[in-house]
This record gives sequence, C-alpha cells and structure tokens, in this order.
Amino acid sequence: MSAAEEARELVPADVHARITAEADRIAGYGETAETLAPYPVNQATIGTWLDAMGYDNARFREGEAPPSMAQVWTMPGLGRKRSDDDPLHSMMGVLTAEGFTAVLGTNCEQTYERYLKVGEQPRVTTALESVVGPKATGMGVGYFVTSRNTWYVDREDGTSEKVATMLFRVLKFIPRTKAQS
Amino acid sequence: MKVGDRLAEWSLPLTPTTIVSTAIATRDWQDVHHDRDIAQAAGSKDIFMNILTSNGLVEKYVADALGHDVLIKGISIRLGAPAHPYDTLTFAGEVTAVEDGEITLKVVGSVSLGDHVIGTVRVAA
Repeated sequence: MSAAEEARELVPADVHARITAEADRIAGYGETAETLAPYPVNQATIGTWLDAMGYDNARFREGEAPPSMAQVWTMPGLGRKRSDDDPLHSMMGVLTAEGFTAVLGTNCEQTYERYLKVGEQPRVTTALESVVGPKATGMGVGYFVTSRNTWYVDREDGTSEKVATMLFRVLKFIPRTKAQS
Repeated sequence: MKVGDRLAEWSLPLTPTTIVSTAIATRDWQDVHHDRDIAQAAGSKDIFMNILTSNGLVEKYVADALGHDVLIKGISIRLGAPAHPYDTLTFAGEVTAVEDGEITLKVVGSVSLGDHVIGTVRVAA
C-alpha cells in the first residue's frame, strides 16, 4: 500500500487535505512568535532547579546556568498565555478541531551554543518545521508535529547571538477507546 | 574516554515531591504534573514527570559521571514510558563515539514500565 493510500485508509481525504493546507500555511510564517523570558536568568531560579534535581554542581552557583535550563527561562508561566501567532500552538489548534485531541511529547533535541549567564534575558522564536502523517501508532491515529525553537541573547552592540536551539516533536492523535484496543 | 566505556548506573526513587518539585522548578505548570485527580481523569495512572525534567536529569547524570567541568553541547531525547511517583528511574550510559573533538553518549533512563527516556548527549572531548 502506498503512503497516500495508507493515509486515505486512516483519515478522510478532506480532513487530511485541510490539515496539510494549514500545516503549509503555518510553516510559511517561518521563525515567529518571538517571546522574551519573563524574568532574566537568575541565581534563585537556578538554585531551586538544582535542589529539585538533586544536582549539586558548584559551577551553577557561580553565575552560569545549566544548559538544559534554556527552555525553562522562556516557559510562559502560570496563568500566562502563549501568543496567538505561535506556530506550534496554532497547529495544535487545527488538529484538535479535526478530532486529534490528545497529545504526547515524543522527541526533544536541544543544541547549546554556550551556557547562559545570570543577568541575561533570552528570547525565543518558534517555527513549524513539519507535520507528518497520518500514522497508525500504538496510541492511536495521529500526526507528528515538529517545531523548532531558537533562543537568542541581545548583545550590548545591538547584535543578537543564538545561544540554543530545540527541535520538539509531539504526536497529536485520536485516542483509542477501550473498545478498539 | 573511549567507545564502549560505561557510566556507573544511577537510580532515583520517585516520590510525588520529586515529580511536583521538578515540574515547578522547570516552570512547567501543566496540571498533569502536579494534580493527580486531573492526571487520572485524563487517563494516566498518576501524575507524571515533565519533559524538561527528563532532560535535566539526563544532564545531571552525564555531568556527575564525567565531571562538573564537562561542556555539554547537546541533548536529544526520545520519550517513552511515563515516570510516575513510587517508581524508580534508573539511568545507564555508554560512550558511542569519540570524534571531531566531541564525545557522544547514549543514555537510557528506565522505569518499571520500560524505557522512560532514550538520550544522545554530545559533550566537548
């Protein structure tokens, strides 16, 4: 069975066509939805993170931040919303509206150009990288949605420096009911 | 380090406090990481570890094993079985490549349900 035939078997053609069209449109935004970290990189947040992880590394009590905290700084925070033009959020909305209501994180690939320092205030952009599917998975029929985040720090001379990137993939799927499994 | 070198295993017993404190410390307020009623209503057995924490624990495991002056260049993880309270998360790791000034390690964190996280970590050699 060809990939196209398999797709028709899993999802009605009109639904797949709408999802594909929206994915192309949203991917066309490119790197967008730039968001500044609500608070600068700070020792209290780093220390709390180290305590929670049970991680005692003196390096991170002396002005540097653990590299995997890059994403922590730009998490929106309790009660705050992501911007409406966020490509990942937009694509999730499209799939939810088509019945793919459940979500599961599957992959997270982070690259660190350098460690952040206390006092820096990173900003992050989001781009929709790809929407692949439909696929029949153990969880149910769904699409794999991959987004790309890029973190920047502004230098004093007005230029900006890329400090970290992340490819993040989720499966957005129709949950199998107990009767089906 | 050379290809095939293994890192000492590390086991982390998981309590509700582990799951909740790490979720909040990573500034992740998704309710399924701190509210058992909501997690169960969504079909989970209990609250479960968030991805930023799985990532952070992979970082800690590798840095504790290789030395705190290690420079981590990248962490790629694939998520598998959920990590719930009252389970144990056990990490194992192995060097898979040493080339171009970089060491690549494979790290697996497993729980009773299977592999929770399968990671590839790149560090400066």
